[in-house]
Amino acid sequence: MDLNLNILTLARGLSGHAAERQAVIAQNVANADTPDYKAKDIAPFSEVYAGGTDAPMAMLATRPGHLGAGADTPNFAVVETSAFASESPNGNTVSIEDQMMRAADVKRSHDLALGVYAKSMDILRMALGRR
Amino acid sequence: MSDLMKTMAASASGMEAQSARLRVVSENIANADTPGYRRKLMPFEAFAAAPQVEGVRAGRVQLDRTELTQVYDPAHPMAGADGMYDGSNVNLMIEMADAREAQRSYEANLRLFDQARQMTSAVLELLRR
Repeated sequence: MDLNLNILTLARGLSGHAAERQAVIAQNVANADTPDYKAKDIAPFSEVYAGGTDAPMAMLATRPGHLGAGADTPNFAVVETSAFASESPNGNTVSIEDQMMRAADVKRSHDLALGVYAKSMDILRMALGRR
Repeated sequence: MSDLMKTMAASASGMEAQSARLRVVSENIANADTPGYRRKLMPFEAFAAAPQVEGVRAGRVQLDRTELTQVYDPAHPMAGADGMYDGSNVNLMIEMADAREAQRSYEANLRLFDQARQMTSAVLELLRR
């Protein structure tokens, strides 16, 4: 039986990306009133995925037989980004509204990843004859 | 999972800093009529709340160096020969705006904290199936 578990790897990558992005957004919001703080974000998952098999979401395998799993979540490149004209006089570029939009996006993609993961597991379970 | 913990640490540091700021604001408002009182300022600075987490913390409290308001009240015990004494330099409008901003930021942090909590329990839910 040829188990093609790419979809699980993909779901894991997407949820890891969402979690990391959530951490960056939380830092931005925590520093919403810090002078000279620049808002940050990480590259969208589509870009990371288009990066190919060397993308950080790929699981590590030292031998062909390994399913492999990185010990820690991968690190995505952090870039400075902010909404248009959101710089305050004190040099802070965090816009809470913009960060809330991003957080909603993160929640959606995290739910999507977990949903896909759970459904794939259900399908595997069904194939094994257990319900 | 550890990313979500980092999220909570950053949000918690934000809430702590904002509540410290709100405390300073309420001290200022309480002393709005204290003669010679200088308004306190709470500067924020980014710092590492945990490895690789940039949280925020309240820095050292500073005093506002703007001129104290001169109040005319010859009956006041501290009044000088011209009947004026030094009031405080607290502007209630500014303090209210500051308090409102602190509240708004606190709520934003709380919201992200709650979202991270929901995401964590969603992951744990997968294990329970």
